[in-house]
Amino acid sequence: MTALLEIRGARREFVTPEGGRLAALDGVDLDVGANEFVTLLGPSGCGKTTLLRAVSGFETLDGGTIRLDGADIAALPPFRRPVNTVFQSYALFGHMTVARNVGYALEVQGVPRATYEAEVAAALEKVGLSGLGGRKPSQLSGGQRQRVALARAIIAKPRLLLLDEPLSALDRNLRQQMQIELKALQHRLGIAFVFVTHDQEEALTMSDRIVVMRAGRIEQIGTPRDIYRQPKNRFVAEFIGETNLFPVLVERIEGATALARTDAGVVLAIPAEGRRAGERVTAILRPTDLALAGEGIRGTVTRAVYLGADLHLFVQPAAGGPEISVTTRDVASLPATGETVHLAHDPARVHLLAEA
Amino acid sequence: MRNPLGWAALTLFSLLFFAFIYAPLFVIVGYSFNANPVNMMIWEGFTLDWYTGLFGLTERSMDANSRAAYIESTDQMLAALRNSLFVAVFTTTIATVMGTATAIALARFRFRGRRLYDGFLMLPMMMPDIVLGIGLLIFFVTLGMQLSLLTIIIGHCTFLTSYVFIIVQARMAGLDPALEEASADLGASEWVTLRKVLLPQLAPGIMGGALLAFVISMDDLVITYFVSGTGDTTLPVFIFGMIRRGVKPEINAIATLLILASVAIAALGLWLRSRKTD
Ligand SMILES: Nc1ncnc2c1ncn2[C@@H]1O[C@H](COP(=O)(O)OP(=O)(O)OP(=O)(O)O)[C@@H](O)[C@H]1O
Ligand SMILES: [Mg+2]
Repeated sequence: MTALLEIRGARREFVTPEGGRLAALDGVDLDVGANEFVTLLGPSGCGKTTLLRAVSGFETLDGGTIRLDGADIAALPPFRRPVNTVFQSYALFGHMTVARNVGYALEVQGVPRATYEAEVAAALEKVGLSGLGGRKPSQLSGGQRQRVALARAIIAKPRLLLLDEPLSALDRNLRQQMQIELKALQHRLGIAFVFVTHDQEEALTMSDRIVVMRAGRIEQIGTPRDIYRQPKNRFVAEFIGETNLFPVLVERIEGATALARTDAGVVLAIPAEGRRAGERVTAILRPTDLALAGEGIRGTVTRAVYLGADLHLFVQPAAGGPEISVTTRDVASLPATGETVHLAHDPARVHLLAEA
Repeated sequence: MRNPLGWAALTLFSLLFFAFIYAPLFVIVGYSFNANPVNMMIWEGFTLDWYTGLFGLTERSMDANSRAAYIESTDQMLAALRNSLFVAVFTTTIATVMGTATAIALARFRFRGRRLYDGFLMLPMMMPDIVLGIGLLIFFVTLGMQLSLLTIIIGHCTFLTSYVFIIVQARMAGLDPALEEASADLGASEWVTLRKVLLPQLAPGIMGGALLAFVISMDDLVITYFVSGTGDTTLPVFIFGMIRRGVKPEINAIATLLILASVAIAALGLWLRSRKTD
């Protein structure tokens, strides 16, 4: 399969005001399939916007290539690229009606009147804004503006839609609703989305694949499940979801499991495959992988937080070391703050990192 | 907080303040209806003759004495008004186009000496008129140019371009650069983006700048005085010359009409500014 978008060795340096050089993109390789929802995720300043702008043509690369359908697009100005963008600020044209905003790409192409009208109506319909075409953008709510920006960007049927934090200005409920709608729209249109966010939950729920970036480099590319269950390193593990990290020394192998101990003395059962005694590794356990039980890691509850159906506990291990966070459905047993509990886990759920 | 005495003092102050500003204008409006052709400070009854006279509707009969007091004819005054309008229209057009283009260029392109350029554009606004006037006069004479309406237009453009530039630049600074990017992203070339997005977005600033340029051009005395020839001149210069010989009553009528026009233009400007295109 050849990818729709092929980025190879993308580099972009900025001169900082202090006179130094900063690599906003430091050798990025990325493929995006024709009907894929790819999310760029990473902390602020890691180069997500820069990468997106390099694809849309508003940023030129210092090195590397960008191919779309196999053709190098480096020389094409933004207005010749079959790629459209949903801007974070929406960037709606305030002097035009909603309908004219949506139809702008067709207006510029000089599409005949009848086709134009039909397409605009269809695009408004697709985002659920039929009947609001005559308004000005300033007469719309935040969520409605978001939809106008979306309708405007898809009307010209781009092969690839770029979305730079399109939901960050919306409140939580609207945001979750738009997440679902966006995903459904992408499915219906059958085009590729490259979506930027620094909300890991959003990335996990929407993406076919997630690209985790740090300081201009890609740390890991994978499905949400891969990224969550098998992070390649501590950075990815800590960036995606809540994580308990245990730097441990492998003590002895007992069949399929091995026993490992943190410096403070917390003992964990980990998968034995490929391990040998005396080795130092980092064990990763998600809060949902731990459960309250009769035996296991002994500790004291320091804090209990309700999250609707779930109960979130912070447990200070008796042996010492950092607090362990646990999410449990078992609200019936309600441990109080200060109570002693035991935490059990399935050794198979432990993910190991070679780095100590 | 509502100290009644303080409140009364504040009200009185603002009344006096507005009286101070507007009294001279009201005096002129009052005089323009005074039938006394010789001494406008003595009220002789209400008349519209000065207005109708302006438009050639009545020829007021004067005795020989009062006629002799005026060298200028009403026709000359109207010609000066026409010249003023002609100069203002051309100046406004040229200054608006140049000022707008410069504001866009300075905001959107990076080039060497940009800051210097910026500073130099402010200078004509701060320069005393008299210096600018003398400078222009010497310049035209050096070039061997005949002083005419053309030299007045060139003179006005030199400083009014700066006014338009400043106003459009302020509007430009408040504009989200993503708007132009969105336009390009949707397939519009730079030219189409300029026409369909940038200029409409800047329109309130451009209109404001144009109105200001028009009003200042109509009003300018000092610079115009230096660069106008012996023949054609503008209304302010004409009136200035006339005052030294005695004021013809039609002046008051013209002044009143100009006040009305200014109010109309100012109202238009305010209305345009209040129309939000965000
Ligand atoms: N025009 C520029 N000039 C100088 N430095 C820049 C420029 N644009 C971006 N940078 C720098 O490049 C780095 C990457 O910026 P970028 O906007 O791609 O980050 P981001 O991942 O989108 O961050 P955020 O999540 O905050 O939007 C940042 O350190 C930023 O300061
Ligand atoms: Mg960004």
